Amino acid sequence: MDLNLSIKKKLPHFDIDVSFSCRKGRLLVLVGPSGAGKTTLVRMLAGLDRPDHGRITYDGETWVDTDTGIFLPPQKRHVGYVFQEYTLFPHLSVAKNVAFSAADKGDVPSLLRRFNIWHLKDRKPDRISGGERQRCAICQAMARRPRLLLLDEPFSALDAVTRQNLREELQKLKRELSIPIIHVTHDISEALYLGDDVLPMVNGRVVRKWMVQFMLKGRLPEPEQFFEDRADYNPRERRDLSVLYDSLEVMH
Amino acid sequence: MDPAPLYLSLKLAVVTTVVLVILAAPLTYLLVYVRFAGKSFFEALLSLPMVLPPTVLGFYLLLVMTPQGSVGRFWKAATGSPLIFTFAGIVLASLVYSLPFAIQPMKASFEKIDRRLLESAYVLGLSPLAAFFRVIIPNAINGLAASAILVFIHTLGEFGVILMVGGSIPGETKVASIAIYEAVEALRYRDAAMMCLVLVPVSYFFLLVINRLTQRRIYGS
Amino acid sequence: MKRFFSSIVIITMVVLGGVCSAFAADKLLVAVAANFISPFQELAALFQERAGTTVEPTYASTGKLFGQIVKGAPYDVFLAADEKRPDLLEKQGLSDKPFVYARGQVVVWTAKRTLCGASDWQAVVKNPEVQKIAVANTESAPYGTAAMIALKEAGLWDTLKEKYVFPQSVAQAFQYAETMSADAGFCAYSSALSEKGKGGCFYTIPQAPPIIQAACILKGTENRGAAERFAAFIGSPEAQKIKEKYGYR
Repeated sequence: MDLNLSIKKKLPHFDIDVSFSCRKGRLLVLVGPSGAGKTTLVRMLAGLDRPDHGRITYDGETWVDTDTGIFLPPQKRHVGYVFQEYTLFPHLSVAKNVAFSAADKGDVPSLLRRFNIWHLKDRKPDRISGGERQRCAICQAMARRPRLLLLDEPFSALDAVTRQNLREELQKLKRELSIPIIHVTHDISEALYLGDDVLPMVNGRVVRKWMVQFMLKGRLPEPEQFFEDRADYNPRERRDLSVLYDSLEVMH
Repeated sequence: MDPAPLYLSLKLAVVTTVVLVILAAPLTYLLVYVRFAGKSFFEALLSLPMVLPPTVLGFYLLLVMTPQGSVGRFWKAATGSPLIFTFAGIVLASLVYSLPFAIQPMKASFEKIDRRLLESAYVLGLSPLAAFFRVIIPNAINGLAASAILVFIHTLGEFGVILMVGGSIPGETKVASIAIYEAVEALRYRDAAMMCLVLVPVSYFFLLVINRLTQRRIYGS
Repeated sequence: MKRFFSSIVIITMVVLGGVCSAFAADKLLVAVAANFISPFQELAALFQERAGTTVEPTYASTGKLFGQIVKGAPYDVFLAADEKRPDLLEKQGLSDKPFVYARGQVVVWTAKRTLCGASDWQAVVKNPEVQKIAVANTESAPYGTAAMIALKEAGLWDTLKEKYVFPQSVAQAFQYAETMSADAGFCAYSSALSEKGKGGCFYTIPQAPPIIQAACILKGTENRGAAERFAAFIGSPEAQKIKEKYGYR
């Protein structure tokens, strides 16, 4: 009973070739350098992009199947999507934004309070701070009672303090929800803080999971160890791993 | 001075503005959001009335609007009356004449809307049609107002096209610009001057009204 | 660099040569009432051949041309469709004494064959099948004025109000009728006799005053000699024969 994905898509500089599952109540982080295809992947989950080959299923319901030509449009997937920017409708107040597609309009006041934005309810998005906007965006997405929550670098445009606060709030939220959450970031510390599962992605592919062990321990393997231990990597994998290695921030 | 041509000009401008803004919106949507073969040719075609001399436009409209022409024939069959030399006829001519002026500001306005807003709407469950009315239109209101103003003024000043297909019928197709022209021809300079004196403040007043409306929205509540 | 300069020299010479020849040759600017286009073209061609003077016409309604002349348009000769306006010009000191150069008449012409067996012009305009009737602008086109007088005489001017279409000139009235944009039109007799006119039928209008067309040499002319020769030619018996071909007396 969860989200299953196995897709391929050709992009200008590389091909995406990814398979994974995400169970309800777990937060899966896609982490990697910018341009690795993470956003495209998440867009495909939302229905905003199509894979060239593959399947996406949720709870047994097929959302995408290129063999049989099935494609469920975004409107029908009941997914929540939080962008990095431009999530809220500028012509509506916060309250109206949250109520926009709320499953039950009666939920709105309690939702506003729950997300700590009640005091902002009559303000327009251009009158609130970046952090408040993202909080509103999450609230807006949750108002629809989505089956899956997607966050695409939601905190990347914010300052460090706000980022940390929102991460903590998201952690709390995760514990209350029973839906799969997929979170995209280029920040390794954020990935490790939030993720129940962490998938590093480079050039459209998920690098081998053993990398995660090192990342969870909070340190990176020494370069020699990195490559020696896995002498069976093919040249492309080696290149990908170098890129990932170079881009990962060391967490202390 | 006979006020009828002035009322007629106003009536024509209002009718044309309302109809054209409604017609131009889906056309602009097509141009901005839909990919289709031959789009650039289509777009150039829609801009044609802007660059053609009004008399050229009037000539072609005349050809299609006469009872033998493709459009005139259809109109006669559908309504029983001729299209040429009628108010409906000059409305049609005005629609063609001002079409690019309706589309351009709207297009600029639509293009400014970030795609992610639309995508957000889709993910939140809105069909493209619903998103058009609930997301695009409210965020393009400046463009819509600018379109309305441009079409209105442009129609008030329309002359060459109406001259060709209007027939200068008092109360039906003899708009102010034509009445002024004929007054000058007949050396009735005072009549001409008086009509001009009315047209200018009227245009100005409508400009003020629409500008006020737009401003209120820009600065929010 | 040398080539650049020599081309400049050549271009200048060509331009100057053109300008000079323009001054050297005789040229007449003639304002011609719209109904008289066809006969004028033949007359002008003949005159050009004979006298070597280029004739450049401008065709429009009499009223429009009158307005232009009053404002100083540089015509040499004015061929109007009435006597009133040339007389006015003479009174204002803008022209020589006018002379009558043609007599025309206004007729009802239609391209619709179904209307061709009617008893008279009134039957045609009253016919419910006739929804649009072209009448040249009654203020600035003498043929339009004549049509209005006839309609008023027959007591029809107000009753047929819904049917009128007002083109700017009598030539345009014929164009509307000929393309069947209008079901019938008050046109110049000469239009009815033309190639296109023969494709329809016309009715004379006893109630309409004859169109007495006068011409005058404008005082502002810079080419008086040629203007006088032209005026003489227009009034000559030879020209008369040509005019009769087109329905003028």
